[in-house]
Amino acid sequence: MAVPALSLSDCRVLIVDDNEFNRKSLALVIRRAGIAEIAFAENGREGLAAVDRFRPDLVLLDVDMPVMNGWEMCEALRRNATHEQLPVLFQTALDSDEEQVRCFEAGGSDFISKPIKPGECVARVRHQLEKRKLFNDLAAFRERVQRELSHARAMQTSLLPESRKLAEVADRYGLTLDAHFETSSELGGDFWGLYPLGDRRLGLLMIDFAGHGITAAINTFRLHTLIDRFPMQHMAPSQWLTQLNGALKDVLPTGQFATAFFGILDLAIDTLTFAAAGSPNPVLGTPAGAKGNGPDIRLLDSAGLVLGASRRAQYVDQSHRLPRGGFLFLYSDALIECGGNGHAPLGQGAVPDFVRDALARDRQHPLRPMMDSFYARTSLPLRDDLTAVWVARRA
Amino acid sequence: MDFKTTNTVDATEVWLTGRLEFTDHDRLRDIVELVEQSRARRFVIDMSKLDFIDSAGLGMLLILQEETESRNIKMIVRHPLGDVKRSIELARLGEIITIEF
Repeated sequence: MAVPALSLSDCRVLIVDDNEFNRKSLALVIRRAGIAEIAFAENGREGLAAVDRFRPDLVLLDVDMPVMNGWEMCEALRRNATHEQLPVLFQTALDSDEEQVRCFEAGGSDFISKPIKPGECVARVRHQLEKRKLFNDLAAFRERVQRELSHARAMQTSLLPESRKLAEVADRYGLTLDAHFETSSELGGDFWGLYPLGDRRLGLLMIDFAGHGITAAINTFRLHTLIDRFPMQHMAPSQWLTQLNGALKDVLPTGQFATAFFGILDLAIDTLTFAAAGSPNPVLGTPAGAKGNGPDIRLLDSAGLVLGASRRAQYVDQSHRLPRGGFLFLYSDALIECGGNGHAPLGQGAVPDFVRDALARDRQHPLRPMMDSFYARTSLPLRDDLTAVWVARRA
Repeated sequence: MDFKTTNTVDATEVWLTGRLEFTDHDRLRDIVELVEQSRARRFVIDMSKLDFIDSAGLGMLLILQEETESRNIKMIVRHPLGDVKRSIELARLGEIITIEF
C-alpha cells in the first residue's frame, strides 16, 4: 500500500544518552530529516521525567548510562499504560546479538546500530513514527465508529416498544407482555412492534432482515418509515404484508430481504389471524381441556415468500383460536440457530418443549427462564440478532 | 462453506459443503465469477452436502438467481436436505427459484 511520506516536522523526539557528543550528533541527523522538536536527557531517570513533561512521539535511547540504564527506563515505560505504544529505538552496538535481544525484551520497538549511520537512523525513526501515526489514526477511527454505532443502536432501540408502552398495552387488552431484544454486533436487523387497532384488536408484527450489522439496521429504519404508510385498521394481515412486500421490493437491493410475522389478535372473537413470510414457526398455546393437563402447545405454519424478494409474492391468512389463558410466542431465528458451549442449536422442533419447560418454571413470565436457558447454551457474542416476544391473554 | 466446480457442455455445477452463512460473502463473489465465466446454459447449485443455510445464505441464492437470469442462464438449486431444505421451504424460495428436491 502506498502511503504518502509523512512530514516529520510536527513529530517530537526525545534523545536519552549520557554522552554529549552522541546527543548532538543524533540531534543533527534527525533535525536534517525535518524533526524540529527535540528534547534531551542524560540518563534513564531523567528520561522518564522528560517523557512525562515533553510527551515525545519517539524515544532514542542509549543502553549504557549511569543512574538508570536504557533497558530499565524502557521497562518502566512499558509498565505505564500511557506509554505502552510509545516507540523506543535503542542505540546498540551491532556486533552483540545478546544485547540486541535484551533491547527487545525490555520492550524496545527497534534498534539502530552504533556508530550511528545517518541514513539508517532516519529510515528507522521515520518507520516508527509512521507506524505510530497509522496506529493513532486507526485507534481514533475505531473510537469514532464505536461512538457512532452506539448512538445508532440507541436510535434503533427507540424504534421498539418501550417497557412503559408494553405495560400500557398489556393492561388495555388484558395481556401479559414480555420482550427480549439483543443485537449481534451493535446493530441488528430485527424489529418488532405492537399496534392497537381499537379496543378489541391488537396488531403484532415481527420482522427479521437477512444478515445483521449496519446494512440490516438501515433496513429496519426503512421499514419503520414504511409501516406508517400502510394503515392496518381495515386490512387482512395478508393484504398488509403484500403491500409491505411491494414497498420493500422497491427499496431493497437483490439479496436483501426480510422474514415476517404479522398477526391481529381479536379479543371479541378470541381469534388470532396472521400471515407470515418465512418467519420461524410461532408457538401457539391454548389452555388445557377439562382433564387439567398442561396447555396445548403447537408450532404454527409460517412458510411464505420472504419480503422484498419478488413483487409477485402472495400471502395467506390463517386464523386460530386464542382464548383467555392462551398465549403466542414469537422469536427470531437466532433462538433456534445459535449454539455453542458444547450445545447444538436448539432447532425448530424443540421449541414447544423449550416453552413447556419455561412455563413449568414460571407460569406468568416464562420468557425469563427461556432466555436463561438460551444463554446458558449459547456462546456470546451472539452470531445473529435475538428477539423474543411473549404475548399471553390473562385467564 | 467450501465448494467445488464441475463443468459439462450443458451445465456448470457447483457443489457446496458445510454451512452457507453470513460469513461467506467472499465465497459468493467467487461463485458469481463462475457465473460470469460460464458458457453453459444451466447453472446447478448442488446442496446435497450442505448442512446449514442461514438468511444471509438464502439472500446469496437470490443474488445468484439475478446474476444468472441477467445472462439467460437457468439456475437450479439441487437436492437441499434436512435443515437446508426446511429453511428454503419456510422462505418459499421455490416461488422464484427452480429447486429440484
